[in-house]
Amino acid sequence: MKCDRALPCIEAFADGELSVWRRMAIRRHLATCAACAARFLEARSLQARIRAEAPRFAAPESLRAKVMAMPGGSPAPAARYAPVHRWQWVAVGAMLGCAITVVTWFAGNAALDRRENTDIASAAVAAHVRATLAKQLIQVASSDQHTVKPWLSSRLDYSPPVRDFAAEGFPLVGARIEDLDGHPVATLVYRYREHNVDVFVRPEWLRAGAAEPRTLRGFHVLRAEGQGMDWLVVTDAGGEAIAPLLQRLAEGDATR
Amino acid sequence: MSGHSRFEGEVLPHLDAAYNLARWLTRNPQDAEDVVQDACVRALRYVESLRSGEARAWFLTIVRNAFYDWVSRNRPGEVLSDSEDALDGAVDFAAVDPEQNAVRRSDARVLADALAALPLQFREAIVLRELEELSYREIASVVGVPVGTIMSRLARGRAMLRLTPSLQAVHDVVETRRRS
Repeated sequence: MKCDRALPCIEAFADGELSVWRRMAIRRHLATCAACAARFLEARSLQARIRAEAPRFAAPESLRAKVMAMPGGSPAPAARYAPVHRWQWVAVGAMLGCAITVVTWFAGNAALDRRENTDIASAAVAAHVRATLAKQLIQVASSDQHTVKPWLSSRLDYSPPVRDFAAEGFPLVGARIEDLDGHPVATLVYRYREHNVDVFVRPEWLRAGAAEPRTLRGFHVLRAEGQGMDWLVVTDAGGEAIAPLLQRLAEGDATR
Repeated sequence: MSGHSRFEGEVLPHLDAAYNLARWLTRNPQDAEDVVQDACVRALRYVESLRSGEARAWFLTIVRNAFYDWVSRNRPGEVLSDSEDALDGAVDFAAVDPEQNAVRRSDARVLADALAALPLQFREAIVLRELEELSYREIASVVGVPVGTIMSRLARGRAMLRLTPSLQAVHDVVETRRRS
């Protein structure tokens, strides 16, 4: 999708008014186009400001009392509405049809989200395995976040938070760029004892569906959101041992 | 079910929504009460035509109609023309209460004032969307125009809001990033 087709849809996307297909297409486009992504963030922030700052006025009690005291409406002539009953079963049928459509729609949506989710997890595991086998785990070797962060920022259209957690037992050893699902993604490499830990960091709007931990081909895949990013951790170390790292990554400086 | 109990059971729960819409359209608490009262009289009269499950959009449609009748009686200048081009850039800052104007320097008021100053067509679309959280389709049915028209009114209303001074800074950042 090009910008000229994406731009008119960005507000509808922010309003949650697009079909699942259009939504996916826009999501893809936002991941690759900084200008449209900025438009999207701008739309979201205006929305948030309107909702936070423009008051929603509540009806005063005096008005409520006046309205309650109004005399009743005129009774409708019964004959005019009698024929409606004959068609009620049609309405019920139509409603049932609608309900089925809606359920199918949501089920399909959930299935798509789930597939996208599994796809991204297996893509991450595949990237981890590929890099390990080829001994190309690290493209920039440094434990200094002020070296790693600019290296990543200069190669991506977003700038992921980078921090060293040596004190907690997770020293930062470097980073590389991986291609996940057609998008370049920042990959931070940490060590935990003898294990390598890959952390894939993507802007949040690429994320879809729930973040449940899973094991693929013997690797643990954990996932969290925080600091406007989607964090995906792949490692052969035990999932529970890695959980504190994921938590620290996602929460940022909040607890410092 | 009698008309009055249907009105109480299905319509009255949306009194806050009705008042909020009327309050943003009239920009005045007393006028908003008058409009809502008139709308309630109409709603009671026509409550038999209400299909269940649509009470909110149905009632807001009546409130909106009551407002347009009220405005043509009391402020005939306000609804200038149906031509949207005539409204281009016509942000009516003068319409904001001058007393409010003097004290509104606090940041939180700036956006509320800018919304209150938008021309009617854009103001009603944004209030229904952002404050009442109606879908495009529901807004279109309340306003009585196609969904596409609602989308373009929302887009233009929001563009006008972005021109509010304190929001301008955000917009500038976006423009700079877009050009680079």
